[in-house]
Amino acid sequence: MKKTKLGLILMLYASIACASLAVVYAFTKDSIERQSEIQLQASLKDIFPQATAFDVVENLTSPEPNIKFETAYEVKSDNVPLGLAIKVSGPSYGGNATLLVGIDLHRSIAGVRIMALNDTPGLGMNASNPTYYVDKAKKVTFLGQFEGKFLTDPFEVKKDVAAITAATITSKSLTKLIKTAGDAAIAYMDQKVMMASMEDEKPTGETSIGASPAVSTGSPIGAPGASAGTAKESARPQAGGK
Amino acid sequence: MRMKKLYSVFKQGIIFDNPLLMLMIGLCSAIAVTTNVSNGIGMGLAMTFVLLFSEIIISIFRNLIPSMIRMPVFIIVIAAFTTIVDLMMKAYFPDLSKSMGVFIPLIVVNCIIMGRVEAFASKQNLPSAIADALGMGLGYTWVLIGLAAIRELLGNGTFAGIQVMPASYEPILFFILPPGGFFVFSLFISFNIWLKKKMEASARKKELVSKKEAA
Repeated sequence: MKKTKLGLILMLYASIACASLAVVYAFTKDSIERQSEIQLQASLKDIFPQATAFDVVENLTSPEPNIKFETAYEVKSDNVPLGLAIKVSGPSYGGNATLLVGIDLHRSIAGVRIMALNDTPGLGMNASNPTYYVDKAKKVTFLGQFEGKFLTDPFEVKKDVAAITAATITSKSLTKLIKTAGDAAIAYMDQKVMMASMEDEKPTGETSIGASPAVSTGSPIGAPGASAGTAKESARPQAGGK
Repeated sequence: MRMKKLYSVFKQGIIFDNPLLMLMIGLCSAIAVTTNVSNGIGMGLAMTFVLLFSEIIISIFRNLIPSMIRMPVFIIVIAAFTTIVDLMMKAYFPDLSKSMGVFIPLIVVNCIIMGRVEAFASKQNLPSAIADALGMGLGYTWVLIGLAAIRELLGNGTFAGIQVMPASYEPILFFILPPGGFFVFSLFISFNIWLKKKMEASARKKELVSKKEAA
C-alpha cells in the first residue's frame, strides 16, 4: 500500500513537470519553427541570390539508408531554372547534422549552409564558424571550399577536401552528406533532361530543371539562363583553380 | 544576522566550496565547452538558471517529497528546467544554442545540480537555497569564463571570437584540445587552494587580533 502511494506521488510530480513543459513548448514552438524557417529561406537566398522561386520537389529520395533528404527545391529565377537545393540530414560526430546543399546546372556545388549541427564547441563546431579558415591564406572556410566544386571530383577528405583541424570525423561526415546530395541532384537533373527531350514534340510550357545549356538553347525561356551559364562556365576554370 | 548568514552561504560557492575547483563535480561539460568565452558565459548562465530554479522548487517542496523517491523527483524537476532552458535558447538565442550544441541538454546529468539539490536544498529553507544556488552558479560561471578566456586566447588567438593576438601569433592548438583544458584547469585548482589558504590565514589573524583586543 505504501509503495502505491509513493508511485502516485511520483506520478503527480511527473505530471506537473509534463504540464509545465507542455506550456513552455507551446509557447516557444512557433518561435523555434519561425527561426528555422527564416534560417532556411535566408540560406536559400544566400546560395542563389538571383532566385525568385523555390518549388518543392517531392520525389527525390536518398540512395543511402542513413542519409535523409528532408526537402528538395527546384530553384528558379523568373521560370529559368538555376539549380537544385537539397536539405539533407545524416549522421555526424555528435548525432545527426542537417545541411542545405545547393547544386547549380554546371554540375558543381553552388553553396553549402549548416542548418543544424551538434558537435564539440571549438572543434567540430568550427564547421559553422564563419571565421574559421581551412585555408588561412585565401580565407576559405570549411564549407566555403565546396563552392564551385565539380561533382566529378572525388570529394575525399585530406585529398581534395581540407579537413577541420582535430575534427576529421565531422569533416568526413559532412563531405559525405554534400556528395550524396550532389550526386542525387545530378541524377535528378539528368532524368529531367531525358524526360524533357522525350517530350520535346508536345510543348507543355513547363520548363525543366535539368535543362543544361546545350539542350535549352532552343527554347526561348531557357535562353537567358543558358547564355548566363556559358559565360559563367568560361570564367570558371580560372576561378576554381585548384 | 540573517543577512550575514545568507551572505556566508552565498560566498561559500565562489571560493571555499567552488563546485569545480573544490568539490570537483560537473567537470566534463566544464572542460568541453570552455573553448571560447561566449560559450563559457552561455553555459554558466544556463547552468545557474537551472540550478536556481531546481533549488527553489526542491526547497519549497522539501517536506512533501518522501525520501524513498527523492532521487527520481529531483531528476524530474532538473530535467524539466533544463528542457525549458533548451527550448528558450532555441527560440530566442538560436546562434548561442547552435554553438553550445549538445551540452545544454546534458545539464540534466550535471552532478553539480544533483549534488546541491541533494546536499543543500532538500534540507534548507528557501532563502538559503537561493543564496546557495546563486553562489554556486557564480562560482561555476567565473571558473568557466576564466578557463575559456585563457584557452581561447592561447589556443585560437581570439577573445569571444574577436582576434586579439597579432596575426603572426601561431595558435597553440594544445590549449583548445581536452588535455590543454585539464592543464589550465589544474592551474586554476592550485590558484584556488592558494587563495583559500591565504584567506584562511588572514581570517585567523583577525580572530587573534580581536581576541587580544578583547583581553
